[in-house]
Amino acid sequence: MNPSPKQAGPDYDVMIVGAGVAGMETAASLGDMGYKVLLVEKKPSIGGRAILLSKVFPTLDCASCIVTPKMAAAAHHPNIDVKVYTEVDGIARNADGTFAVDLHSKAAYVDFDACTGCGKCEEVCTVTVPDEYNYNLVTRRVAHIPFPQAVPKKAVIDRRGEAPCTFTCPANVKASGYISLVRAGRYKEAFNLHLENAPLVGCLARSCYAPCEQDCTRCGKEETVHIRGIKRFFADHYYADHPEPEYGPVEKQRDTRVAIVGSGPAGLSAAFYLARNGHQVTIFESETQAGGMLRTGIPAYRLPNDVVDRDIKNVTALGVTIKTSAPVGSVAELKAQGFQAVFIATGASDEKKLGVEGEDLAGVMGCMAFLRETKIGTMPDIRGKAVLVIGGGNSAMDPARSAIRMGAKRVIIQYRRGRDEMPAHDWEIKGAIEEGVELMLLSTPKRFLGKNGKLEAVECLKMQLGAPDESGRRRPEVVAGSETILPIDLAILAIGLNPSTSKFTGEVPHKHGLLKADTRTMQTADPAVFAGGDCVTGPTMIINAIGHGRRAAFYMDRFLKGEALDIEFEALLEKTDKDTVLAEAKSFRTRSPVLQPTLALAERKQSFACYEGVMTDDEARREAHRCMNCGQCAQCMECVNICPAFCIDFDMRAVAKKFTVGAVVLSTGFEILDPAAKKPLNYATLPDVIDGPQMDRLLAPTRPYNSVLRPSDGKQPESIAFVLCNGSRDQTLCNPLCCRIGCMYAIKQAQLAMGALPLADVTIYTIDVRAFGKGYDEFYEQARGMGVQFVKGKVARIEQLEGGQMELAYEDMEGAGGTQKRKHDLIVLTVGFLPNTDAFKLYKGGDLGADELNYVKEVDPIGEPGRTTVDGLFAAGAIIGARDIPDTVLHAGAAAAQAAAYLERTRSQR
Amino acid sequence: MTQKRRIGVYICHCGGNISDYVNVEKVADAVKGVPGVEVAKTHVFACSDASQQEMINEIKEQHLDGLVVASCSPKLHMFTFRGMAKRADLNPYQYIQVNLREQCSWAHTSDKIGATEKGIHLLRAGIAKCALTHPLNAIRVETKPRVLVIGAGVAGMRAAIMLADMGLAVYLVERENQPGGWARVTGEQGPEKQNGDQVVSALAERIRQHDNIMLYTGAEVVSKDGSIGDFTVALRLKGSETVSLNVGAIIVATGFAPYQPRAGEYGWGLPGVVSLADFRQLLSETKGRLEYQGKPVRSVAFIYCVGSRQTESETCPEPNAYCSRYCCSATTHTAGLLRQLDAKIHQYHLYRDVRTYGALEKLYEKARTDGALFLRWTPEKPPRVETKDGRLSVLVTDTLTGNEELEIGADLVVLATGMEPRQNEGLNSILKIPESTDGFYKEIHIKLRPVETVIDGVFVAGAAQGPKALAESVASALAAVAKTGGLLKKGFVDLEPLIAKVNPEKCTWCDKCLQACPYGAIKRIHTGEKEIALVIESLCKGEGACVPVCPHDAIEIEGYRDDQIMAMIDASLKEVATP
Repeated sequence: MNPSPKQAGPDYDVMIVGAGVAGMETAASLGDMGYKVLLVEKKPSIGGRAILLSKVFPTLDCASCIVTPKMAAAAHHPNIDVKVYTEVDGIARNADGTFAVDLHSKAAYVDFDACTGCGKCEEVCTVTVPDEYNYNLVTRRVAHIPFPQAVPKKAVIDRRGEAPCTFTCPANVKASGYISLVRAGRYKEAFNLHLENAPLVGCLARSCYAPCEQDCTRCGKEETVHIRGIKRFFADHYYADHPEPEYGPVEKQRDTRVAIVGSGPAGLSAAFYLARNGHQVTIFESETQAGGMLRTGIPAYRLPNDVVDRDIKNVTALGVTIKTSAPVGSVAELKAQGFQAVFIATGASDEKKLGVEGEDLAGVMGCMAFLRETKIGTMPDIRGKAVLVIGGGNSAMDPARSAIRMGAKRVIIQYRRGRDEMPAHDWEIKGAIEEGVELMLLSTPKRFLGKNGKLEAVECLKMQLGAPDESGRRRPEVVAGSETILPIDLAILAIGLNPSTSKFTGEVPHKHGLLKADTRTMQTADPAVFAGGDCVTGPTMIINAIGHGRRAAFYMDRFLKGEALDIEFEALLEKTDKDTVLAEAKSFRTRSPVLQPTLALAERKQSFACYEGVMTDDEARREAHRCMNCGQCAQCMECVNICPAFCIDFDMRAVAKKFTVGAVVLSTGFEILDPAAKKPLNYATLPDVIDGPQMDRLLAPTRPYNSVLRPSDGKQPESIAFVLCNGSRDQTLCNPLCCRIGCMYAIKQAQLAMGALPLADVTIYTIDVRAFGKGYDEFYEQARGMGVQFVKGKVARIEQLEGGQMELAYEDMEGAGGTQKRKHDLIVLTVGFLPNTDAFKLYKGGDLGADELNYVKEVDPIGEPGRTTVDGLFAAGAIIGARDIPDTVLHAGAAAAQAAAYLERTRSQR
Repeated sequence: MTQKRRIGVYICHCGGNISDYVNVEKVADAVKGVPGVEVAKTHVFACSDASQQEMINEIKEQHLDGLVVASCSPKLHMFTFRGMAKRADLNPYQYIQVNLREQCSWAHTSDKIGATEKGIHLLRAGIAKCALTHPLNAIRVETKPRVLVIGAGVAGMRAAIMLADMGLAVYLVERENQPGGWARVTGEQGPEKQNGDQVVSALAERIRQHDNIMLYTGAEVVSKDGSIGDFTVALRLKGSETVSLNVGAIIVATGFAPYQPRAGEYGWGLPGVVSLADFRQLLSETKGRLEYQGKPVRSVAFIYCVGSRQTESETCPEPNAYCSRYCCSATTHTAGLLRQLDAKIHQYHLYRDVRTYGALEKLYEKARTDGALFLRWTPEKPPRVETKDGRLSVLVTDTLTGNEELEIGADLVVLATGMEPRQNEGLNSILKIPESTDGFYKEIHIKLRPVETVIDGVFVAGAAQGPKALAESVASALAAVAKTGGLLKKGFVDLEPLIAKVNPEKCTWCDKCLQACPYGAIKRIHTGEKEIALVIESLCKGEGACVPVCPHDAIEIEGYRDDQIMAMIDASLKEVATP
C-alpha cells in the first residue's frame, strides 16, 4: 500500500507552507501515509503561534507540553523534510498537475549544522530589538534563539543591511559595532574591533573627517551620533590603560618579504595586515620619523605626535621594521634586495605652484612645508606678522588656524570663489572664523611683491563667478582692472598637492603622476607591485588611505601565497534603508547629542593643545545609546569571538532553491490585528493596556517577568479587565467577523490570572460569551464559579488616572444601563484576526480565489474542506478564516486527506 | 544482574514547572552514586530539540544501555523520549520515564523540601526499574487496506469517498434504510446556502460510482474482534443475514440525536410550539403565506438553548451542560429564510448568548438589521410559554430592557433544540469507546487529537464526537480519513511489546486469566502433555487484569514484572538524607 515508487517524479510529494499547528498536523498526516513532505517555515523555528501560548482552553494543558511533541514529531519524521528560515518566492502549477516552487533559505549568519544552540552568542550580543516572540513586551538580542523550546534550536542573527556608517566608511570600519560595544561598556573590545579594519585608532579618533557622521541615520531625527567622539573616548581609554600593544608578532611567520614605500596611513595599514598574516614587512620612510602626513601634515592641535607614535606601535609590535631616512629610488632596487612584493604608498605631498610672479620670494611657501616646519619646530617666529593663506580647501584651514595659534597679527584666507563654493568643511571654516581668521573671497593673487628677495605684499585681483565649469561649480573670472595691493609677510599656498611618485613613474604606469592600480586589488601592471593611498587617488582622507592599505594587504597576501586574486575582498550587504529605520523610530524620543567638550576660544587661539576634549564614560555611553542600530546586527563580533562551535559566518547569503512538488498545502495562518487603531482605548499610549497575545506571554511558563505584573511599574495588578471584541464584530475597524477564540482565551487568561493572583478582581467585558466548542461552555461556567465577573457591555474609552489606575467607560447593556465607569490596574484587549494574504503573492497563477475579507476561499466549504479554486493547491487552518486549535487540527487533517487523494489521482494519470 | 548497567539519568526543570518546587540539582546529586548510574544531569527543557541532541550524543559516547528521564507524565513525552532513544541506537524499551511533575512538583507546591525528597524516592525507583529492563521489539502487525465506516450520514459518506479516493476499500454501514442521516431533512444550510438533501444526493451518486465502496443500509454492527490493523467485524443485514468483514480500521460516524424537549418545557406539547427542525420543514413546504394548522402566522418567537447549557434541577436531573454549537447559527439563518418568505412576520429571538462564531456572524447581523428583535434571558428566569385567549403567549424577562417581564403574543414558538449523543448501547458495548462527560465519544485529546480514540485503529468523526455543523462534520470526517490513511497506507503497524507473558512452567490452565481479560487475548494451547494459556500478542493491551487472578503467579506484564516492581519498592524505600 505504499505510494508507488516514483519514476523521475517530483522532488517531494507535497510542499506545506507554514509550520504552525495546521502545517505540522498536515505534514505528520501525509508523512504517516508515506508521502515525502517538504515543510517550509519562514521563521527560525516551527510551532507557529501555539507554542507561544501559556495554556490552552478548555483543558488548561501547558501549551509547550502539547505542542512540543507535535514539533518533535514533525522534525524527526522520516518522511518530512523541515526547512526553517526559508521563504517561498513562487508557486506555479505545471501542466501535469505538479507544481514548480521557488524558495530561498534566508541567511541566518549561523551554520545550523554546526550550531549547538548553546546560546552564548545571545548572552554577549550587544544589540537589542523588540522580542516578537514575547509580542514586544520585552526586548531580545539580535543574535538569538527564538524561544527555549524552538525546533530546531539554532541561533539566528538579524541583519537587514549594512549600517550606513559602516557602509559609507572607505575602510568599512564597523562604527555600528564599536558604538554598541561602548554602549555595553566593553571599551577594550571596541578598540580591538576597530583594529580589524584600521590600526590607527588614535589618529582617526582625532582627525578623521568622519564620513560616517554625514551618513548617520540619526541625522534624520535631530543630529548625527558623534561617532568620532565615541571613538576618541575608547581610543584614549584604551591607550591610557595600554601604553604598549598587548600582542607581539604572530606565531606563524612566513618567509615572504614585503617592502612598503612610505609610512603614512596607507603604508602603515598595509604593513599591519600583512604582518598579521606572518609576512616579513619593511617600511621605507624618507623622513626622519614615521607617520607621513599624520606626523607632518596635521597640526598638533588636532593630532599630537604622541598619538601618532602610539598608533605606530600597533604596527611595529607585529614585528614590522620601519627604516626612516631611507628614501627608495625604484622598485627594481627593492626587488634586488629580495622583496617579493612592493606596496607603494608615497602619498601626495608635492606642493602645486600658482605660476605667478614672485612665487620664489622668501615668505612664500607651500602649506605642507609650513605645517611640517611648524610641527617639527623649525618654523621661524611669525608673531605680529600678516599671513595670507591662498586656497579654500581643508588644507587652507590648517595653516590659517595654526598661524593664529602662532601669534600672527592678521590671518587671511584668500579664495577665488565665494563662501558657498569653498570645498573645506563648514565646521572648519566656522572654527577658523571664530578664531579670528578673515576670509577674502572672490580674490586671487596676481603676483607676489617683495624687496631683497623677501615677500612684502601681494597684489590681488577681484574675481566674479561666470558660467559653471565641468565640475558644476561656476568658473571664477577676473574682474579687469581690479588690482589692489595687500601688505603680507607670509603667503602660504594651499592650492593643491601633487602625488609624490616621481621615483616610480618610470616603472609604474601613471596618469599625471597618479599611479595606475586596479581599484579592486590595488595591483599595478607589475603583479608584484601594488600601490594605494594618495599616490593613486590624489589627496583625500586618511581613512581612504587606510582602506587602500588593508585592501592591498588582502590581495598581496593572496599574491604572496600564490592564490588567485579573483575573490571578493569584503562582502557587504546593501546599505540599510534609512527611511525604514526612521519609520520604526517614529516613537523615539529626541535625544540631544552629547558633544565633546571644546577648549575655550581664548585658550584655543594661544595653544596647540588639542581643542577637542574627551567624553566621560557616561557621556560616551549616553551618546552611543543614540545609535539606532540601523543594520540590526552591529557586527560587534562578540558572538563570533565567543561561539564555541565557530558557526557564525557574516559572509553567509540567501540560497535559492527550486523544487517540483506533487501538491501544495498552504497553512500560513493569520495575522493579529493591531488594536492601536481603536484610538479611544489608548492601547498605543497606555503601557498597562495590553493585548491578548501579550497577556498570554505574561502567563506562560517562559514568561518575561516571571510573574503577572503590569508593565508600567511592575506592580501586581489587583484588578484586571478583559475587553472582548476589539477588531472583531467591529464595523469601526471593518472587521465584521467574530474571531471565534477571543471569548475563550479571555476566559482562560482570567482563570490563569486568578490562579497566579488569587486576590485579584477579574472582569470580562463582553457582548456575547461564545463558548461553543466541546467542553467550552463548561469551561465558561467554571470561570463564573471561580468568581470571574462577566459584564455585558461595550467598552468605549480607557483613560489613565493619577496613581497608576485606569478608568474604563462602557455602555452597560444590562443592569443599570447607560454609560458606567470602572477602575482597573491592567486591561487586556482581546484582538481580532486579519487574513494572511501571503498566499496570493506566492501563487503565481492568479486564479487563487479569495473571499470578501481576503481569506483564501474554499470552493465548497461543506463538501470539500481544504480545497481552493486551484486544483492541487490546498489550504489548511486559519488561512481560510480564524479558528481555534481543534478546528485547525480537523481542517488540517481534511487538507491532508485532500492532498493525498489528489496525489493518487494525478499519479495514476501521469 | 550479571553485567553492570550503564544508565543515563536526566532530570528536567520543565522551565520551572518542576524546578520551582523540586531542587533538581539535589535530586541529580542524590542519584549520582546509585549503582549503574553513569550520568546524572539536569536540563531546562529535556524535550527540547537541543537537549535531546545532547542526550543522544551522551548515550552514544558513553555507551549507555539504560535511560531514565525524570520529567512530566509519560502521557506527554514517553514517545518523545522513546523516539530519542531510538535515534541514539538505544532500545526504546530500556527507557523509563519518571513523573516528577504531575506526581511530584505540582502536587507539592507548598512543600519544597518534601517535594525534593519525594523526587529522589521516585527517581531511585525509576532507576531500579530501568536496571532490570532488557531490549524488546515492537510487535509488527500487517494492516488490512480496508476500512469500516459506521454511519452513512454526510460525515460517513464523505469519509467513505475520500478513503476510496486514497485507494482504500470501504465498507459503509448504515442502520437506516437509506443513507444521508439528518442532513436529508434539514433543508438549506447557512451560510453556504446548500440544501442538505442535495448534498446527500450528490454524495450518494459518487458512492454509487465508486468501485471501492460497499454500502450496507439497514445494517448493524453486531460484533468486533481483532485489533488495530486487523479487525473482524460482523454485520447483521436486513432479514438477519450476517456478513463478516476484515478491516484495518474503523471510523465511527454515528452522528447525534436531536434533543427531545420534556413535556411542558417551554410549552412543549402546546399547539404551535414546534422544534426548529419542524419549523424548517414547515418553511420549506410553504409556498406563499405561512400558515400553521390553517391559521396565518403573523408572529414567531424563537427560544434558544433548548436542551443545551442546562443546569441541574428537579425537572432536569441530567442536564446537558454543553453548548450545542450549531443552533444559534441555524436559528439566525432560519430568521433570514422566514423574512424571505414574509418580511411582515414579527420575529422575537429569545437568546442567552448569540454564538454565531466566525463568518456566521453575518447571519446574526442580517437578522438584526432586518428587524428581528433579540431579547436576552438568563437561566434564573427562563421564558415561560402559555396559551392565552387561544393564542400562544411568551413571558420573558429581558435583561437588555431593565429586567422587565415582557409578554409576547406568538402564533408559533420555535424551540432551538440542541444535539444529544445518540443512545447506541449495542454499538457502544461492541466498540468500547469511552465517553466524555457530555456523553459524546471521547477523543484522545480535545485540542490536538480530536479524531483518535484510545481504542487503537478506531476513529470518531462528525457529531458523534460532539455537536458540529455540517461543514465541520465533513472536516472532521476527512481528518479521520487522514489518520486512517496514516495507519493503513504504510501496510503495517507496530504494537507495544509491554504485554502479558505466560510462564509455561508455572501455568496449569485454570482459565482465570481468560475470564479476566476484557480483550479476548488469552487462548488455550497444548504444549507437550500440558495445557497452558497463550497470550495473543496483537490483542493484548498489557492492561494486567490477568496478573493478580493467576493462582500460580504464572503471568507477568513485560515492563511491570514482579522483579521490577519489587526493586522499585526497595529502591524507593531507601532513606533520603533531608536535602
